[in-house]
Amino acid sequence: MSPAATTNKPSKLRIRSYQVGFGDCFLLTFYYPKAKKPADKERHILIDFGSTGMPEDAPPDQMMRVARDIESECGGKLHVIVATHRHKDHISGFSTNKDGDGTGDVIAGLAPDVIIQPWTEEPEALDPKPAKGKAAGSKKALKALAVDAGGTPDARALSALHVASLASMHKISDAMLTEVRHLTDENRFTQRLGPAVAGQIAFLANDNGLPNRSAVENLATMAKKHKGGQNHYVHHGYPLKLSKLLPGVKVNVLGPPTLEQHAEIRKQRSADKNEFWMLQAASRQFWGLQAAAGELVTEFSSGKGGLFPGAKIYKKFFPSHDRWFIRQLRAMRGSQMLSLVRILDEAMNNTSVILLFEVGGKKLLFSGDAQIENWEYALKRAGKNDLELLKGVDVYKVGHHGSRNATPKTLWESFDRRSDSPGAADRLKTIVSTMPGKHGTKKNHSEVPRETLVDALKSQSEYHTTETAAERGELYEDLTITFPK
Amino acid sequence: MSSTPRPRTRRLTVIAQDPGVRIDGKILTTEVDVPAEEFAPGPRGYRVRVIDYDTSTGTLYMPLQYEPLRDGRYIDPFKEAAARAADGELLDDPQFHQQMVYAVVMRTLARFEFALGRRVSWGFSGHQLNVAPHAFADANAFYSEQDQALVFGYFRGADGRLVFSCLSHDVVAHETTHALLDGLRERYTDPSSPEQAGFHEGFADVVALLSVFSLKDVVKLLLDPHHLKGREGGEDLIDPDELTPDKLRDSVLLGLAEQMGQEMAGIRGDRAGALRRSVKLTPLKPTDDPRTYSKMPEFMEPHRRGEILVAAMLNAFIEVWVKRIERLKRGRVVKGMLDLQSVVEEGSDAAEQLLTMAIRALDYAPPTDLQFCDYLSALITADKELVPDDTKYGYRAILLESFARYGLRPPVSASSDGSWRLFDGEVAYDRSHFESMLRDPDEVFRFIWENREGLDLDESAYTRVISVRPCRRMGPDGFTLRETVAEYIQMITLRAEELQQFDPPINIPDGMPNDQEVTLYGGGALIFDEYGRIKYHVNNRIRNVPRQGPRLEYLWQFGYFDDKAETENVFARMHLQRALNLPSTSAEEF
Repeated sequence: MSPAATTNKPSKLRIRSYQVGFGDCFLLTFYYPKAKKPADKERHILIDFGSTGMPEDAPPDQMMRVARDIESECGGKLHVIVATHRHKDHISGFSTNKDGDGTGDVIAGLAPDVIIQPWTEEPEALDPKPAKGKAAGSKKALKALAVDAGGTPDARALSALHVASLASMHKISDAMLTEVRHLTDENRFTQRLGPAVAGQIAFLANDNGLPNRSAVENLATMAKKHKGGQNHYVHHGYPLKLSKLLPGVKVNVLGPPTLEQHAEIRKQRSADKNEFWMLQAASRQFWGLQAAAGELVTEFSSGKGGLFPGAKIYKKFFPSHDRWFIRQLRAMRGSQMLSLVRILDEAMNNTSVILLFEVGGKKLLFSGDAQIENWEYALKRAGKNDLELLKGVDVYKVGHHGSRNATPKTLWESFDRRSDSPGAADRLKTIVSTMPGKHGTKKNHSEVPRETLVDALKSQSEYHTTETAAERGELYEDLTITFPK
Repeated sequence: MSSTPRPRTRRLTVIAQDPGVRIDGKILTTEVDVPAEEFAPGPRGYRVRVIDYDTSTGTLYMPLQYEPLRDGRYIDPFKEAAARAADGELLDDPQFHQQMVYAVVMRTLARFEFALGRRVSWGFSGHQLNVAPHAFADANAFYSEQDQALVFGYFRGADGRLVFSCLSHDVVAHETTHALLDGLRERYTDPSSPEQAGFHEGFADVVALLSVFSLKDVVKLLLDPHHLKGREGGEDLIDPDELTPDKLRDSVLLGLAEQMGQEMAGIRGDRAGALRRSVKLTPLKPTDDPRTYSKMPEFMEPHRRGEILVAAMLNAFIEVWVKRIERLKRGRVVKGMLDLQSVVEEGSDAAEQLLTMAIRALDYAPPTDLQFCDYLSALITADKELVPDDTKYGYRAILLESFARYGLRPPVSASSDGSWRLFDGEVAYDRSHFESMLRDPDEVFRFIWENREGLDLDESAYTRVISVRPCRRMGPDGFTLRETVAEYIQMITLRAEELQQFDPPINIPDGMPNDQEVTLYGGGALIFDEYGRIKYHVNNRIRNVPRQGPRLEYLWQFGYFDDKAETENVFARMHLQRALNLPSTSAEEF
């Protein structure tokens, strides 16, 4: 880690919201004019770097242009990276290639000192030591989760099951892409799955498919390649001590909750606490089963066996009296896959890191793609919730590209810097990084960004969007916050 | 022309519960009776078409073809394999799976038709329900009205073996019940209250579980899983001490839950959990608040609410069975032990009779905005009509007590014994025709419009007669009585601000815009006696403020005014929510 900067506080913050189409990439630069050494005059934080779709007129090398700009603006040194969660539209930019000239190689070359990710990314969470004879996910493991007389649940085993269920989600998504391909195949006895449904499934399945291995690997290792580099896998309340790296900046972690924290909220709804843990485990097992079903699809589609290898089947011809129903079944399957991939997408979004920065009397909120389930602990926990802390937020990076369920109404209504008057002093500033037409549909009110939310953001805050940068052909949307002396 | 009458039923081999339920390592199979017919390949019969298409691989399997009637007998193509306990032949042959789904669907349909004494239509316009036993690679199974279908998924279990949801008796019976209930009470899928939403799941669970408990082979296995009962002169005997209510709950209810296994929890929607909870849900004391369970946040979720109904019905089943066993004790007892087969038969008979009551009750339930307490009165009324003298086993008293233990009592509008009050309003019959009233919805509408005041209907509401059906029962003198049950609904669509014109006004839910369109429902079931006179009018008035206000609050809070789910099948969505224990978060959304 680089030597401590001066004890001066930053005088201003510049937020560059890069135009990455459907994705997030924010470079925060804190300025310390009174610092004695040139290397201490600026501190840089990169929050996410990923995309799953660019505007049609964007340059083909837009992501590399972004990486090079980050490199230039940082003067070759990046201090903190936050990868809020592992969706491709948040981490694809961290991928490397064997020639060492991928966008992730550029970022790794900036030698970040600290990488912050959610606790679900921690390598140990993926590989706990299960109790003897109780493999994670087995019937015995599930029984072990039940509360015995006076005991406590094995939250670690459930956490492992939770992380395993996230891994299952990747497998499901990849299998869905296989199924969508064959459901959109031409066949004179059946109809293709409609393009709207097929397109939505493919978009979400792609985002939730196995993330680029090199991106995940890069995030896990790039800090450790130089002395003092650290990885932090955070949860609500995690003590991030970054005062030496970012003088005058306090960083609060408001999400994601651990399973125990999450359980605190959910158990309030449950009469039988033992049953609560069994239900939690069962719901995570569901994803394992789905993944197992997805593996069958992959195997059978690649010719490795079949459901009934010896059975007689119709080859390419379907009797006329069966065709209507077969068509219905195929459309139904599309609809079913869409429901499942939406739930899966939300589960992954809810692993997002939520950070509240306090600096120079201002508060800045970056919540990744956190949705209501993630926010629940921060907003509703018994005793002391975070609403008081969130009241005076000055800058809010809108969750999940402006979707309907990533800005809980309780949160939005707690922001007391909202104002209908554009000239109001200290008016709330909101930033959204988004691209319409990729995610969800207006028909069922799931479009991203959500129209009713955008209306509220525009009317009650100073609204900034990367769509403006896209329209102007600019690389980023620029916002500077000045701190009082 | 042959002088030998054709058989009315035929026997088909099915798996008794599911492949996990075994005796000495072999899958427990049984034979069930279904209405006899000459199948087309599929099998395709007069009410069910099996089309074995797998969407995940694009495969259409060849259909099962049966031999025609020969020498007065039908051949069951899988009887011999089942007798040899050739499990592999059954599991690896998609045509056995086709027979399994066909037989269980038809058995369940026949059960409903037996209980109601008439043909029961599906909930769509069409005579045949499509069934896809291997519809997709997915841990899911559901009924789809728009596709006129039951669809079943398959997946790989934790031990690497393939798991087929179509081979679980209770899963097939449960999904078939959704299809049948949708035909009998089509408005129960309307957004209304957690109880109406939960009724579909709870009722389907009750039918599925009682259907399984009506199979003697399954009951015997649950009572004697290790064949350890004492043998006296070659007979299987059982100690009466093992037949207390608590012991039966453990062995039979928890025993079945245990055998259902964890893998199918996603498909069963945690029916196994519901079974377990039906045992563990602590009964309320008479001094407890009856709304204890209905107020709990977890039971506000529709997919959990049905568990209260399951708990009430299954505990009633146990109590009835125990009472029937008491009568056995007055009969043959060998060294203090009872004959196991007799105990099993009492159990399966109890399950059969309760199942008949549960189905018949639908005719006496309001067609909209159902609450569990309404269903309880419907149960009591339906049984009272069928069996005026209930003193032998006291089913009705047991049901009332069992429901009361979970906070469910007959509504205030019911009479003192829990049944619906007889209709005593003033109506005129002189402008309608008796014969047409037995079958014609337009004639019945003529009647109810003419008598809208006497029936307390809202004149400004859209009103429609949904069905007119015969309802047969045996009179006390042994004569068959032909009564008629007619269903009508009423709907009003208003702007939210107009709710305040009601007397007393209905509160607009917090946050609802004044121009939000809201639809209020009302409706009733009219039961006409053999003379065409109204005997019962089981209704929900559309301007019932104490009911409509909380209903709107509930719908607003849980996001039912959004139409984001329009592309999702309501049962597929409910099953997903149940499997994933997903709470509703709509109140926080933009």
